[in-house]
Amino acid sequence: MPVCAIAIDTTSRDATEALGEAVAPLLRGGDVLLLSGDLGAGKTQLTKGVARGLGVVEPVTSPTFNILLVHEGRLPLYHFDLYRLETAHQVDDLDYWGTLEADGVSVVEWGDRFPDAMPADGLIVRISITDDDARRLELEPLGERGSQLAAAWAAAAAGLNGISVEMDSEAAR
Amino acid sequence: MRELLLTLDTSTEITSVGLAWLTETTLETFASAVVDAPRAAMSRVLPTASSLLAGGMLSVRDVRAVIVGRGPGSFTGVRIGVATAKGLAHGLGVPLWGVGTLDAIAWGIAADRPMLLGVLGDAMRGEVYPALFRCGNGRAERLAPDEVATPADVAREWARLGEPLTLAGNGLRKYGDLFTDALGDGATLADELLWAPYAEGLFRAFAAARAAGELGSGEPGELLPIYTRLSDAEENEAARAGRASGQTPSSGVAGESR
Repeated sequence: MPVCAIAIDTTSRDATEALGEAVAPLLRGGDVLLLSGDLGAGKTQLTKGVARGLGVVEPVTSPTFNILLVHEGRLPLYHFDLYRLETAHQVDDLDYWGTLEADGVSVVEWGDRFPDAMPADGLIVRISITDDDARRLELEPLGERGSQLAAAWAAAAAGLNGISVEMDSEAAR
Repeated sequence: MRELLLTLDTSTEITSVGLAWLTETTLETFASAVVDAPRAAMSRVLPTASSLLAGGMLSVRDVRAVIVGRGPGSFTGVRIGVATAKGLAHGLGVPLWGVGTLDAIAWGIAADRPMLLGVLGDAMRGEVYPALFRCGNGRAERLAPDEVATPADVAREWARLGEPLTLAGNGLRKYGDLFTDALGDGATLADELLWAPYAEGLFRAFAAARAAGELGSGEPGELLPIYTRLSDAEENEAARAGRASGQTPSSGVAGESR
């Protein structure tokens, strides 16, 4: 396991959503966020914030049963949930790679479920429950773009209500 | 006596459909359509075919053979194209023949002027499907079977040829600069409009394979898609199952070039 360089604490559901909203302006086509965390950790909550920040107006719900839901915003938002897949190669049935590399932003719940089916570049967000509605989100970048995004996101989130950002010295360089 | 042929290719982000008349001596494309339909091939390919047929006052029952672009390309796209073509041919009780998607692009570009053509399909995940063709006299002769490789390796190999090279294919959208840098003045990009497998190219590739006696049985159940590689996940699964690497699995995933 790589050392986690950036960790972000949120104190409420609203703060978790606001954290998602804060990353939205930084996103561009082809960016991928892989969300991991137990049921109820807040993966969908974070995604709702990303969607709002991208200008998506329709409601965003967990695509557990649909596996992929597409929302139109400033960029298309491809909201995946890999929870129901049994093997890594089933992602090919979803045109997973074609979608991740397309014109939109992909947010993948249970995105680290299959080590064989991870993109080379992107950002893993590990969400854990610290208290009732408080959450800790650890950012684990994959590749250059992932690192860039992690640093920019941490900077954008730093001043927000109910959000505190921890960076180790290496990441803050 | 003339026979109606239907062709389709959904291996790329372009859904390509066309109709041609085949006689003893000629093959004439008379209707074709391309739809820019990334990740939407399934909902577009049959309606597009229907409207082409309707435009020619024809019915799907008039189709006497189906020709499909077998890939390589997007996994899902290749699957949709091949499955749709199989369903059509099987349901109609007509033969199904396949041509390589990169061959169709090459045959669409090939003109009288001699040239070496490098077609690069986007293989996703940082890789490409490269294929070299010797073109001239309106023909495109393939120089090597389909494979998957990293763009940097292909660019190095093609630069070593030391010959002017025309480039085409959707892999250039991501790696065009890498290739023009590696090949320098020797590289010419074909018009981007020619980077896709159009009906004309699919039919010309088919006609060439037919003339060379290289078509298969025409049995819809026997035609295989060209995926070139297993997905990484399947590779790893196969390795865990102890299967020798590179061995063609029973599903026919690793297809030959025709």
